[in-house]
Amino acid sequence: MLVIGIESSAHTFGVGIVDNGRMLANEKMMYDVGSRGMIPAKVAETHVKNASTVIKMALDKAGVTMKEIEGVGYTKGPGIGACLQIGQLSAKTIANALGVGIVPVNHAVAHVEITKHESGLKDPIALYVSGGNSQILKMADSPFKHYQILGETFDVGIGNMLDAFAREIRLKPAWGSTVAKLAEKGSYVPMPYTVKGMDFAFTGLLTYASSLAGKKSNEDLCYSIQETSFSMLCEATERALLLTNSDELEVCGGVAQSTRLQEMLRCVCKEHGFQFGAARNEYNADNGGMIAYVAERMLKDDRGEPLGRCDIQQRYRIDKAIVV
Amino acid sequence: MRQLSEGAEAKVFETEIFGVKSVVKSRQPKAYRIKEIDEELRRTRTKKEAKAMLRAKEAGVEVPGLLALGKFSIYMERLSGKLLKDTKSKVSYAKIGVMLAKMHAANVVHGDFTPANIIIDGEKAYVIDFGLAEIGESVENKALDMLLMKRSVSQKQYKELASTYAKTYSDSKPVFARLADIERRGRYQIRSLA
Ligand SMILES: Nc1ncnc2c1ncn2[C@@H]1O[C@H](COP(=O)(O)OP(=O)(O)O)[C@@H](O)[C@H]1O
Ligand SMILES: [Mg+2]
Repeated sequence: MLVIGIESSAHTFGVGIVDNGRMLANEKMMYDVGSRGMIPAKVAETHVKNASTVIKMALDKAGVTMKEIEGVGYTKGPGIGACLQIGQLSAKTIANALGVGIVPVNHAVAHVEITKHESGLKDPIALYVSGGNSQILKMADSPFKHYQILGETFDVGIGNMLDAFAREIRLKPAWGSTVAKLAEKGSYVPMPYTVKGMDFAFTGLLTYASSLAGKKSNEDLCYSIQETSFSMLCEATERALLLTNSDELEVCGGVAQSTRLQEMLRCVCKEHGFQFGAARNEYNADNGGMIAYVAERMLKDDRGEPLGRCDIQQRYRIDKAIVV
Repeated sequence: MRQLSEGAEAKVFETEIFGVKSVVKSRQPKAYRIKEIDEELRRTRTKKEAKAMLRAKEAGVEVPGLLALGKFSIYMERLSGKLLKDTKSKVSYAKIGVMLAKMHAANVVHGDFTPANIIIDGEKAYVIDFGLAEIGESVENKALDMLLMKRSVSQKQYKELASTYAKTYSDSKPVFARLADIERRGRYQIRSLA
């Protein structure tokens, strides 16, 4: 089944095309966050401008025409309302014009599922780390097949926390990658560390690190905030693995692009002889391919929705989404 | 030393100290984190665990006697008896309710109050594993202690426990109110995996 998937929950407008689980195209254009941060209306405006270009790029890359498309998927949430609407509208327009099935997809489910697919893991614990989210997840079967949240951040997502800190010391924020660059040359300054069971919190760390801006070198602060926050994630994840008797771990989402985080998680797994997996970075970043991938499976499972019920939901929690 | 168990943070061994049958609970280094963070966490948590144990004991709760404290390890009296989760003998949940009430009245929150962390020896019930304990007044944390146990036992057992808790702990009302709150909030299920 030839399915097109559209992602627009934040600053990326992404379009993917799959055919029987095979990724034919995964194209995107991004709003340049720069130092302005995310102004929803501006991002949405950029998405509107880019939408048809990215769709065309994807069709060309896949070597198919719009008429051949047999199904459509789009990100229902979680994400920024104004941004989600653009993807939703594009998807509904295509589905309506072609008269094919359409299905809303949970963004977080898509990250977890594409990573599972890419890594070949069977039933992993998933550490989902992006700008606004940081969750430890496990597949559960009742009352319907879904990802249960074993642990999560009490306050902000790790990506947003690292970006807020980057802005604080006047770096260009980019989901922790600018912090990572400086961290390479830093040494450790003690920072507050908050883990409770499988949950964790980042604002105390952010406030403290920010209060040291100018007093300690940026390199030291970046190193310390990164090592501390990643250690928190690793501890909570390790606990989740042990408590659930799991022997597989995947990491996914924007912050999964961090080589340091991957190295630490790999180390957690190695200690216990567990399998570790991650996707290629094009799938860790927001992308349409993962939406197409999940949409195809949902459409084949007859989970399509009538156009009138194709809504968006800014706080669409992963444990509310049916997984097929 | 015979190893009794390996948890997420610590290993527990049987040993002898001053000729007394004892166990040593030793926080293990984690290779994934840098040494500075690793040692600081293990050191402060070991201290905190010992402190909570002592405080519970002062409050009149049965806990293993503390024998010695190392940088990363706690030596304590070795109990005979079985974990509540493994025991087949009849257990008084009224007694467990009193234990929790005494701890909470002394502002000791256990943090992992499950049948895996209570040892039953004849008539006596001991609380062990203060590894996640906090000292503080947090009603939320107290309610989570109650909730974790509630979810691990039968309804009848919970009723018994809750009733003596309410009788023993004068400030129990807000705890029960918060417990109901948390249950409505929904995501509490996951804490019960222990
Ligand atoms: N004082 C003790 N006497 C006898 N056995 C103990 C004692 N303390 C711990 N144990 C045994 O070791 C196990 C793990 O100890 P615990 O303190 O609960 O560590 P963990 O934090 O790893 O759960 C217990 O389940 C129990 O079987
Ligand atoms: Mg224990």
